[in-house]
Amino acid sequence: MKLTTKKLRIYSWIALVVITLGSVYFVREMTQNAYMETDLDEYMPKEHPAFKYSDMAEEWFSIKDGILIAIENKSGVFNTGTLSKIKEISVRLQEMSQFEENDIMSLYTADNIVGTEDGMDVQPFYEEVPGLKSEQDSLRQSVVSNDMVYGRLVSTDGSVALIAASMKDDVFDEAFYEEIMDFAKSYNGDGDVIYVAGRPIVEGTMGMLGPQDMKRMVPVVMIVITLVLLLLLRSFRATLFTLISVLISTIWAFGLMSATGVPIYSVSTMMPVMLIAIGVAYGIYFYNHLNRYRLLKPQSGDADAVLHTLGVLWKPLSMAAFTTIIGFISLLTSQVYPIKYFGLFTAFGIFMAYVLALIFLPSSILIFGSRKYKIKAIDDNPTYTILNRITDKLLLNKKTTLIVTIVVIVISVIGLQKVWINSSFLDKFEPNSEIVLTDAFVNSKFGGTSTLNVIVESDDADAFKQPANLRLVDQLQESTEQLPKVGNSFSLTDYIKRMNKVMNADKEEFYAIPDNNEMVAQYLLLYEMSGDPENLVKVVNYDYNKLNLTFQLKGDDSKTINEAIAVIKSFENEFEKNGLKINYAGSGYKALVFSDLILEGQMGSIFLSLALVFILLVIMFRSFKAGLIGSVPIIITSLISFGVMGLGNIALSTTTALISSIAIGIGVDYAIHFLQTYSVYYKKTKSRHEAIHETMRHTGSAIVSNAIVVIAGFLVMLFSVFPPNRMLGLLVSMNMLTSFMGTLSVMMILVYTAKLFRPGKKHISSNNEINDN
Amino acid sequence: MKTIKLLATTVVLLFSGVNMMNSQTTGLQVMQKVYDLPSGKDTQAELTMTLINKQGEKRVRQLKQYIADEGSVEKKIMYFTAPADVKGTSFMNWSYSSAKDDDQWIYLPALKRTKRISSGSKGDYFMGSDFTYDDLGERHPDEDTHKLLREETVDGKPCFVVESTPKAKGHMYSKTITWVLKDTYIGLKREFYDPNAKLLKTLTIKNFKKISGVWVILDTEMKNVQKNHSTTISLANVKINQGVPASKFTERSMTMGQ
Repeated sequence: MKLTTKKLRIYSWIALVVITLGSVYFVREMTQNAYMETDLDEYMPKEHPAFKYSDMAEEWFSIKDGILIAIENKSGVFNTGTLSKIKEISVRLQEMSQFEENDIMSLYTADNIVGTEDGMDVQPFYEEVPGLKSEQDSLRQSVVSNDMVYGRLVSTDGSVALIAASMKDDVFDEAFYEEIMDFAKSYNGDGDVIYVAGRPIVEGTMGMLGPQDMKRMVPVVMIVITLVLLLLLRSFRATLFTLISVLISTIWAFGLMSATGVPIYSVSTMMPVMLIAIGVAYGIYFYNHLNRYRLLKPQSGDADAVLHTLGVLWKPLSMAAFTTIIGFISLLTSQVYPIKYFGLFTAFGIFMAYVLALIFLPSSILIFGSRKYKIKAIDDNPTYTILNRITDKLLLNKKTTLIVTIVVIVISVIGLQKVWINSSFLDKFEPNSEIVLTDAFVNSKFGGTSTLNVIVESDDADAFKQPANLRLVDQLQESTEQLPKVGNSFSLTDYIKRMNKVMNADKEEFYAIPDNNEMVAQYLLLYEMSGDPENLVKVVNYDYNKLNLTFQLKGDDSKTINEAIAVIKSFENEFEKNGLKINYAGSGYKALVFSDLILEGQMGSIFLSLALVFILLVIMFRSFKAGLIGSVPIIITSLISFGVMGLGNIALSTTTALISSIAIGIGVDYAIHFLQTYSVYYKKTKSRHEAIHETMRHTGSAIVSNAIVVIAGFLVMLFSVFPPNRMLGLLVSMNMLTSFMGTLSVMMILVYTAKLFRPGKKHISSNNEINDN
Repeated sequence: MKTIKLLATTVVLLFSGVNMMNSQTTGLQVMQKVYDLPSGKDTQAELTMTLINKQGEKRVRQLKQYIADEGSVEKKIMYFTAPADVKGTSFMNWSYSSAKDDDQWIYLPALKRTKRISSGSKGDYFMGSDFTYDDLGERHPDEDTHKLLREETVDGKPCFVVESTPKAKGHMYSKTITWVLKDTYIGLKREFYDPNAKLLKTLTIKNFKKISGVWVILDTEMKNVQKNHSTTISLANVKINQGVPASKFTERSMTMGQ
């Protein structure tokens, strides 16, 4: 035995050195290669047909996401100061390398198509800033009478002007985000207020807040977990080593991410909290078993105690760890890469926490020794009596328990149908945060900060010189604009209607599509000869058989986009009669497809993790019945989780979609421990009643402390700046609560009633059973 | 006098007896020779303009054009012959040698009316092509400072390579580099650089021919390398100094077709 101890110490040192070297390597990887991915396009699967099409269309019409700079002057923007600022901002943006000159749209850069006495003119609204009141008034007049800018670049109340700058691809980074914010904000003052909105800004803000949030949450979770651990383990040293082991697993998970070149996505910022909350449970199991052995054999040496603990612990710990890993691995079914990676690397982190609990914690005891634990005898544990009393109560009121459960399930199923998906990125922010308020302000004054691009295609060249087709498109625009959340739309029809009007003495009745295709063709030619033909490239292709319609939406959430698409879809048949096909493109639409993929992936991963957990239970307990009964708590948990989301109007998002698979993976641990202990006791006592009480007494209290740790860990997420992360923390905590309650109530009753693990009919012993009714 | 010349849609006249260049040749001298090439009194031609975007889609327009140089004003009239839906559309441009803005008219047969349109600024692109009005017009050598960079051969033909930098600030090109044939003073190639000194466009003369004693550029290509967009212009049935009546350049004539 002495020799073994010596050998064990050597092994321990080796383990410690390997772990340290690995950690040093991964810390280096992290500091050198880790980066946060803020480009939302990178979150989406590129090979998906909808994304492929959208990318193509974005190329055809140079559809890009724009930064919106709004300048508000309460007494109206038609004054020298504000007009100068609009000009200066426009010119300076055009000079920035991140923008193409043609992609800056403002009152200063816009084309004013006007009718003149003897023809048509395409001219700027102003070149030199008008200094005289009369000049400013006539500028206002020309804006108000031009539907192509009125309400688009200047608000209808005249108090806000908009400068829309489309970004080149892949030029947006944190430095530029700060540069553009500082640049825009420098124009504040003299009665002018600057607002900066648009998708790149939302992405930039998220990119800034994400890592900040992670930096803030990790210390908080460490403090909370430390307190809980001290309370449960009653040992400073055990607490310290548990913390070190979960920190190492987090470092390895992030280090591996960096080493394999996977960026940090917004969802990955939750990994540290998860790994810490889940990982400490393994430490608790380890020290609990060690303590129990020490209490039974106070004279045993460290090596002895450690070896014994490992012998007892490895099987249930492996089961618990693997089910949790399965929960996260099931996220690989998602087509959404950030979720896939989140699942994969969290699974790796948990695997590391598991390995460390079996190697690092024992090694630390062998090397650094261990203190005497000041733990109370388990039999003195007050939960013993409470849990046993609860057991009896529940067994006596089986029917009531089951009825309550069924009622809860029914309510959950009702709630489940109300669950909706939200692809909005804005909704990830606080409702009163600057970015959300700015967005709301710009939406209130203009068409909308979000865009939906509708692409209409025909096989026939020159299809969109045909008045019939153009009228159809015009009707589509008009009907869709009726929706309250659709601000306005823009397409080739707007150019043609405007030109038809100004070429006919500005008469309102000519604001319509002309009657013959030659007229349309000649207007277009005229525009090309006198205007800025690059503007036309954004609405129609060279062959006049691909059209880009842009809808401005006042929300980036799925409901808003779906409503607009529903109206557009109602036109599909009529379009088809004319040989026109409708497709969708742009960031808004991609986000919608994305959210559907999230839901699909969510369903896939729930069923996969349920199936895998079920199979694992069947194999582990060699009983089909055990598989079914063991799955009950997690099924109930999932149902309640979705029910609460539906009834509480909590949308599924990239963040909350993770809940169920996580809850299944962690929640089933309780069932496993319960069934494992019960099967042992049942074999020993041959009495269901005794076995159930013993199980409740021993495993019950272990489950309670585990639930406390995990719940405490996840509740830390309430400190996140992102509302969905807070929701996730709350929901996972709730799921842990329902799974532990479900395990100790419904499942316990089912185990008892179904006579699980009964060896065979001849062994029936019913004398110890309490009356079933 | 705003003759359309080297980079024009049309003609370059040969300046006779130019072979007197020596080693002291300066950039300015070269560009002055190019500028001084006298133009024909009038020109008629059939013109095909093809725009090619980065997706490879083409937009082809065919026109019949007449140009007359009346001294203080250069008049040009173009009739669209294709595509069919714009056939009969005509465009007239009077370009003055004084500071006066160009006068432009367009006749739309569908509307059956002639309309005046505002002339774009010199930096505007002509008809959606890669040529600006400025590219098509003439630039006086005094507006730029010129530097003879080197002499080299293009396709076996000896050329001067001249760099021209605008004297005025804020020009749309920071500089141009022109390859001028030593024997004829025809520019074979020109590179246009944007304000950030990056190559923006390349103009290439693909085919030129002496017609009625005048050098005529028949095929040119302007390629915008930043936008991956290009424009080709080809001339056919070119007639020089055949006499185009002044009555050709009237609003009435615009409505009557070629």
